[in-house]
Amino acid sequence: MRVLLIEDEQRLAENIVAALRETGLAVDHAPDGETGSHLAGQDVYDAIVLDLMLPLKSGQSVLRDLRREKLHTPVLILTAQEGKESIVELLNAGADDYLSKPFDLGELLARVKALIRRAKGVSTSVLTSSDVELNTVQQTVRRRGHFLELSPTEYRILEYLIHRPRAIVSKQELLEHLYDFDWEHHSNVIEAHVSNLRRKLNIPGTEPLIETLRHRGYRLREENSGL
Amino acid sequence: MSRSISLTRRLTITVLVLELTSAIALIGAITVHERHTQFRAFDATLEATAQSLMGAVQDAEDGGDNVMLDMRGVEVGKDAAFRVEDEHGRVLGFMGNPPHLEALPSGAPVFQNVKIAGRGYRFIVLHGLRIVDPGTAGGVRHNITIVYGTPVGRVWHRVLEAIRFFAIATAILLGVTAWVMVWLLRKGLSPVHELAREAERISSSAWTFDAPASARETVELRPLTAALEAAVGRLQRSFEQQRRFTNDAAHELKTDVAIIKSSLQLLQMRKRSAEEYSRGLALSLDDITRLEMTVQKMLTLARLEQPAEGNGSDSVAQSCSLRDVVEDAVHQSRPLAELKGISMSVECSADARVPIDSRDALLLCSNIVLNALQHSPDGMNVHVRLTSEVDSACLTVQDQGEGVSDEDRPYLFEPFYRGDPSRSRKSGGTGLGLSICKAICERVGGSIEISNVTAGGAIVTVRLPVKPPAADSALSASVNVQ
Repeated sequence: MRVLLIEDEQRLAENIVAALRETGLAVDHAPDGETGSHLAGQDVYDAIVLDLMLPLKSGQSVLRDLRREKLHTPVLILTAQEGKESIVELLNAGADDYLSKPFDLGELLARVKALIRRAKGVSTSVLTSSDVELNTVQQTVRRRGHFLELSPTEYRILEYLIHRPRAIVSKQELLEHLYDFDWEHHSNVIEAHVSNLRRKLNIPGTEPLIETLRHRGYRLREENSGL
Repeated sequence: MSRSISLTRRLTITVLVLELTSAIALIGAITVHERHTQFRAFDATLEATAQSLMGAVQDAEDGGDNVMLDMRGVEVGKDAAFRVEDEHGRVLGFMGNPPHLEALPSGAPVFQNVKIAGRGYRFIVLHGLRIVDPGTAGGVRHNITIVYGTPVGRVWHRVLEAIRFFAIATAILLGVTAWVMVWLLRKGLSPVHELAREAERISSSAWTFDAPASARETVELRPLTAALEAAVGRLQRSFEQQRRFTNDAAHELKTDVAIIKSSLQLLQMRKRSAEEYSRGLALSLDDITRLEMTVQKMLTLARLEQPAEGNGSDSVAQSCSLRDVVEDAVHQSRPLAELKGISMSVECSADARVPIDSRDALLLCSNIVLNALQHSPDGMNVHVRLTSEVDSACLTVQDQGEGVSDEDRPYLFEPFYRGDPSRSRKSGGTGLGLSICKAICERVGGSIEISNVTAGGAIVTVRLPVKPPAADSALSASVNVQ
């Protein structure tokens, strides 16, 4: 999952980026409204954390333009302003959630994750697909009750795939959503991670979970459909 | 002491007292006049009756040429008293018990008031000559004296009657006037009540004061209306300024606290190595230092914006040499200038003692110099110049940056204004520096201004009164910063 943080306060941005990365999300940071609006317009983010007071372009304008372009990325507003009116206005303008400064970092992470989940149509923190169970809080994966040891990237690939059941997910899409600009990424890196993931998921007595569709991408197989 | 004064009551009472006084004077005059008229009429009646009594004295047709009183055709009042007598004291006729009264030798009628049996009478004494048998040798002459009187009570009764009529009329008039006046006054004062009602609506959340048309049209209320409008406007502006300051201050502090909180929470998210902890702590300390700086500047601004205590004695006691302070400030900012490769030229033609605490003066000068350095592109020049005039000192700091935009100019001295809607702190500072400068200048009656130089760049001009502060030196200062 990839998150965009639009926040001009350098130190605060550093902390939020670090926290979001530690929780397993890819994060890009835009230090002003113009850059933020431009990045958000690429539609590769699963959530946006938006400050209101920004140089060049205000948070409100960023949000308005995003919604005008029919982009439905969930947006969490960070505000230091008091007053219910502006919050109501923002929610009406298309914001999905808000947090007042000073906020709790843990709460921010939980809310961002909840926004991502809900945007993908899942309301609990434990995702399941056939016999695989993925706990997004503890970041653990179980198949048929057995805990699997996954690397962070493998975990994120699996999480993304579970969020998109039955859909064919291209390597490009995985790259866009799993890596931020700070990472070196090539499609063969994805291939290597997917191959490792597939191997780890392949415990005795089970069928391969991830299908590869040549030149198109990957798909999570729904075992139940075969029953 | 809760004395309340009602203008309506006061006016009503004043007018009524005046009316009453005039009424009493009028009644007095009427009394005098009425009494006079009534007594004249009374006397005329007395005389007429006495004359008719005189006419009733006739020849007795006896041998002695005597006279007698023939009362036929003569009408006297029921309770009248009279006596008719001749020169020998012979009583020709009488009624009641009239007193013996002396007549004037001239024979002119005499009027006299007498009390008979506790009752006031007015008598007329009339002398007349009656000639019997005038045909024969001139006839017999009889000197007749008539004393005739009637009670005066009736006259007084009539006078009192007249007075009573006037008194009642006056009382009715007073009552009507009072009622009409109260009604008129109430009506006349209604603009005051309307104004009060409108003024009552003013509160800290609703600053609209729209003076009612009635108050606007009333000449006497115009100064009050105008004063109220002006006062409300001033209050509203200062209230809004305060609110903006509070909001901005809250924003600043919340952001600082958010940074510190997130730094520590990030550190807490999982177990970390000793290096990570120490780096995190160092960062958190930096964050706290910045919060501390913001708070300190806010407190400085708050202190400076307090009116100076004991205006004069205090500020005279604290004074400093502006040249020393300027040199100090320039010296302190050298490292930053060197870092940016900016050359600083200082020109202090004269020294001046200004009535400012040396620490505040240093704060003022270094803020302006640092501001100029921050807004100067690398490798340019910042020129500091101190000149002294008759009763003021003038400090200018000129840079070669991009100058101030007309948009920003009105807000440069407002707290937390950074010429950037985001209040981004990348440029450094809390946005309180210029506000603090302005507060320091205005506290001693000086001024600070920022304008652009045609050659490019901004110039800050500070004007400060020289110690001892001239009583009402209108000092203007202008500062230019870009």
